Amino acid sequence: MAALYLVLLGAALWLGSGLTALGRPSERIALPLSLVGSTFGVAGAVLCLAQGSSGTLDFYFAGFPARLAMDALSAAFLVPLYLVAGLGALYGSSYWPLDAPKGTGRSLRFFYALLVVGMTLVFLARQGLFFLLAWETMAVSAFFLIGTEHEDAKVRRAAWTYLVATHIGTVLLTALMILLARRTGGWLWIPILGATSPKLDTVILVLAILGFGFKAGWIPFHFWLPAAHAGAPSHVSAILSAVMLKAGIYGVLRISGLLPWIPTGVGGTLLLLGAATALYGVLYALAERDFKRLLAYSSIENIGVIGMGIGLGLTGRATHDSWLTSLGFGAALLHMWNHSVFKSLLFFGAGSVLHATETRDMEVLGGLASRMPRTARVLFPGLLAVAALPPFGAFVSEWVLYRGLFAALMRGYPWSAGLALPALAFVGGLAAVAFAKFFGFLFLGSPRSAVAEKAHDPNLPMLIPMGILAVLCLALGLGSAWLLPAVDQVAEILAPGASDLLTTSLGHELRLIGGLAGALLVLGGLVWSWVRRPSKISGALPEPDLPTWGCGYSAPTIRMQYSADSFSDGWATLLPGRRIRMRRLKAIFPTPSTYQSELVDSAGLGFLEPMVERLAARALRLRKLQPGYLTVYLLYVLLALLGVFSWMLLRPWLMVMLGWPA
Amino acid sequence: MPESPFAHTLQVLLHVLTALLLPPLLPGLINKVKALMAGRSGPPVLQLYYDLAKLSRKQAVFSRTTTWIFLAGPVGAVSVGLVAAMLVPFGHAHAPLQFQGDVILFAYLFGLARFLTVLSALDTGSSFEGMGAAREVTFAALAEPALFLGFAALAKSTGSLSLSTMLAHTGPLFKFSGPLVLVLAGWAIVYMAENSRIPVDDPNTHLELTMIHEVMVLDHSGRPFALVLYGASLKLLVLGALLVGPILPRNLGPLRDWLVFYLGLGILAVAVGVAESVMARFRMTKVPQFLVAGVLATAFAFLLMLV
Repeated sequence: MAALYLVLLGAALWLGSGLTALGRPSERIALPLSLVGSTFGVAGAVLCLAQGSSGTLDFYFAGFPARLAMDALSAAFLVPLYLVAGLGALYGSSYWPLDAPKGTGRSLRFFYALLVVGMTLVFLARQGLFFLLAWETMAVSAFFLIGTEHEDAKVRRAAWTYLVATHIGTVLLTALMILLARRTGGWLWIPILGATSPKLDTVILVLAILGFGFKAGWIPFHFWLPAAHAGAPSHVSAILSAVMLKAGIYGVLRISGLLPWIPTGVGGTLLLLGAATALYGVLYALAERDFKRLLAYSSIENIGVIGMGIGLGLTGRATHDSWLTSLGFGAALLHMWNHSVFKSLLFFGAGSVLHATETRDMEVLGGLASRMPRTARVLFPGLLAVAALPPFGAFVSEWVLYRGLFAALMRGYPWSAGLALPALAFVGGLAAVAFAKFFGFLFLGSPRSAVAEKAHDPNLPMLIPMGILAVLCLALGLGSAWLLPAVDQVAEILAPGASDLLTTSLGHELRLIGGLAGALLVLGGLVWSWVRRPSKISGALPEPDLPTWGCGYSAPTIRMQYSADSFSDGWATLLPGRRIRMRRLKAIFPTPSTYQSELVDSAGLGFLEPMVERLAARALRLRKLQPGYLTVYLLYVLLALLGVFSWMLLRPWLMVMLGWPA
Repeated sequence: MPESPFAHTLQVLLHVLTALLLPPLLPGLINKVKALMAGRSGPPVLQLYYDLAKLSRKQAVFSRTTTWIFLAGPVGAVSVGLVAAMLVPFGHAHAPLQFQGDVILFAYLFGLARFLTVLSALDTGSSFEGMGAAREVTFAALAEPALFLGFAALAKSTGSLSLSTMLAHTGPLFKFSGPLVLVLAGWAIVYMAENSRIPVDDPNTHLELTMIHEVMVLDHSGRPFALVLYGASLKLLVLGALLVGPILPRNLGPLRDWLVFYLGLGILAVAVGVAESVMARFRMTKVPQFLVAGVLATAFAFLLMLV
């Protein structure tokens, strides 16, 4: 019970901090309120995960009984929410101050707090109508957050696209809630026991995957995501990527947990959909030259990986295989935690770069590791984590996923797992391309423009949250074995009957992996100190100041460095959305050659949006019904009345004819 | 076969010593074979040991563009290689460390080493090193599925996810059958790509434009360069153990197992040397096709295991 109240207290404090922005705002009140609120929120959720305590709160909403409840599944999503929200508030206090021009600082603060409160209620609500209300609060406040810089036409377009996408999702979710209410006999969400109803259950599960898929961003529901996440202020991008996408994941998990029976086939399909999403996301990520869009596409990749875990878990439930269920859901959950930590770190880092250079184009940056040394250092763990490399946490979650895929192979679901396994390995290889590009062309080499030349480290309120997240990245990798009891609790909610399966069977391996990761760090440190220690001969010599060797070319310039676009060219050429305009050198006295590249999301901008625009153009023809003459409107009224009268006249007769009961 | 604690300790000690001391011999062996094939007498087999001793005493020169990332590549390559070496079985049936799922850690450790090397190449800001880095990451993305499909085939056949079991106790169905041949063929391609040997990459070429791995370490000197060379030879050993592991006869006795292992490695080195002598490097555009052939070989092995 205490856990639930702590979280609600946290949400109330956040609401308070948001409301201060309406009056005469002061950072001295708003920031501490949100930080304390976050502390309460994290404390409550961790308490729930550590002690397994759950609590419920019953009340009436719009005349129907409603319920807020806290269990391990809710807590698993509340921890990253309050962690990222709190760190984001600290970061935002410096990144986007309250007194920012045109009132954007105040509106941002208000809607940010509202988003936190909305998401808290999403994770706690156990009643259809109340859930939809919370869901809309979250969705709409995110719309205002994305549109913070609404003077930019691109940002406006991104925000509107997002709003349309999220509401298509909401329509599907409303249908889902109605069907669920029919199934349970009330708006309250209670696990459905007893007889199965295969058709209705299948429809509910598929609706959940589609409706929540619009929020999570599995292809082809991802089209709104890159522009929206790149256009928002960076700490907002962090919370959108790290937590709000996961609300979709939460929804699928929660609804599937209510169903007594899972149809076979849905799990395998979701597994393949996840693999396709991961591949699509990582291919577009590596081709991007806008570093915030690169991060957004990498979020799509990671959501795909999480989707693979859920697909595996659902397959396990459909076949009553608790080992597969635990591995699948466990991998999804661990990856969800890891992604929320490293992606918010990367977005904070990207924000610091944007803050210092005011450009999102990777081609004009470079050399920031020596201009922004602290940023580069704290960002580095996040970089290795996002490429799923040991000794960081994301490696561990992908390791659990691999274990699940191998287990599925051994148990005779070879086709989906057989395709997903090499796909995951391939995604790992491509993620290395994307993030070597991200770090290499932002931070390494020589600066390619004056803005990069003059870049500087951000101040402490922006660095401290990044430092905390960097430490967490490493801690999640070294101490993953200690997370297993919490993961088991969540798996128990999703598929009862397999308590502490992961702890007993994976604990040994994860402790070994953690130990090896620690050994790797120690060994690396030893080798490092050997390299840095001056030898007998060289110690006496002064360190010369020399340029990079130009391979015999005597006048290299900075512009001759390899460019980000050519770095990823090998794979990017495969993408249909990549357009290149190049004027090659011709004639004896050639004019300067030019090169332009452009990347268009082939599902979103390339396909869906033109289709929607055509549809909208057709819909405009309906305007002819509205000519503006009073007489025509009177005619409509008359026609409507006639219609009603004739219906009233014909109804008894029709009823008799068709044999309907009166 | 139960082992006494003393024998076990001895085995582990021998394993660690092999991982630490043997690697520089392999490039020496390959180069000797190449020299003999070309009718030269060539450098001594122990040349790399002398080079390492010399380099570790020399002063390192750092470009003014570089930062601490520049050192992360060499340091990472060596420490990762040493940790990965503890997971692979060498001469005896089991690696010092083994657990279910260590194959995945093994593969990703090499991913880490490659990522750090690529970053340290980009740190120099040289256009040539950037080009090498781009090639390395592009080709490696193809090597990864080939490696994993091979693992999947072995896992399906042995019912285990631990390298020690997968490589040492291949099931009766699998022994010298079609799938094994296909896996080894695929892995041989991965081996050449990962170790930057001909026909994927030429370690002795003199033109930076045509290099992959060598061009990424152009700016390293002194101790960092010693680490680069040592790390590369370590990779030859560890991935070589992966390649010869499934074919070696097992359980001949503790001493003979080791002898057979060393012999297998020697034959592998000679084979690499012969292959390098009789063929030329592929054109860069052919390399992805070669790697796809590796993916297809392992994919077919995997399919054969499934049906």
